Amino acid sequence: MNTFLLVIASPDGNSFEGEATGLYLRGSEGDLAVLSHHIPFITSVVPCDCKVTLPDETEKIGHTDGGILTVAEDKVTLLSGSFAWNE
Amino acid sequence: MGADIKALRSRIKSVDSTLHLTKAMGLVASSKIRKANSAMAKSRDYASAVQNTVEVLSLSPECAKNPYMRETDGARTKIVVIAGDRGLAGGYNANVFRLASEYPDAEFIPIGKRACERFGAEANSSESFSYADAKALCDALCKEFCEDKFDRLGIISTKYVSMMTQEAQISWVLPITRAENAGNVGVIFEPDEMTVLNTAVPEYVAGILIASLRESFASEVAARRMAMDSAGKNAQQMIDSLQLEYNRARQGAITQEITEIVAGSGT
Repeated sequence: MNTFLLVIASPDGNSFEGEATGLYLRGSEGDLAVLSHHIPFITSVVPCDCKVTLPDETEKIGHTDGGILTVAEDKVTLLSGSFAWNE
Repeated sequence: MGADIKALRSRIKSVDSTLHLTKAMGLVASSKIRKANSAMAKSRDYASAVQNTVEVLSLSPECAKNPYMRETDGARTKIVVIAGDRGLAGGYNANVFRLASEYPDAEFIPIGKRACERFGAEANSSESFSYADAKALCDALCKEFCEDKFDRLGIISTKYVSMMTQEAQISWVLPITRAENAGNVGVIFEPDEMTVLNTAVPEYVAGILIASLRESFASEVAARRMAMDSAGKNAQQMIDSLQLEYNRARQGAITQEITEIVAGSGT
């Protein structure tokens, strides 16, 4: 499966930086998924659980308290004031 | 002579206890430097990422009508002043206050116990100021800015140049100025540019504020360590010279005593 570079950044450092196959979260207009080759776009993210699927077919779930999602051609960045992975 | 020796001994003891204090404060500052530098680097990365997003948004023609991008004369100014919680950090706090005094008409929002004392506000700590605190403050400031209650927002903080050099600086965060490069070609905004900008600006201001706080704290511990190193060296020099004086006085007293005994036995 195609991958893309995902960065989940917060003021306390990057919670994630690496290749991912998918990112699933809730934007201001509803649930959305970002896969490889997504068109460049910027949206605001509401507080929600956020799922990241990894190239080894495992998944990680964390919680964001909202922020901005930026999809560029080479990189997907979730800027979140606070982000924590679920145990 | 005896009184001199006693006074010198007590001065040496006093300077020695100051030396211990400066060494302890220097060690505490050293232990905080690594953590402070790492926190500074992380928050800088975040602030620069949010800034890039806001720059892309600022290029959109729709956003030019946004209240965050309005043109102002800057008459009503608010400035967040970040100083330390404690003194004994060389010119760290004084440099910040000197820069603040260049804006006599501004309304100041102090962060850090020293700044709160200076501007007569309720005490808060710059060391333990969290992102949640910064976000709450910035949300309130952004709301006021949109309601046209002030014209521009600045942050006075200390730039960490190196372990030896720290400089007080002011950065203007509101209103948002239009970026010069055209990097938003083909970017889609959801639901639209205005809504995204309204969400992004408080995040941006909070990101810049928290990055300035972390940088200022790293500057404070570096300044304190340098100040304590230098105070320790001065104390050591003072002890050496007092010790020399004490030895001379002591030797003088012994010589005088011997002279008196010899003179007494000769008669």
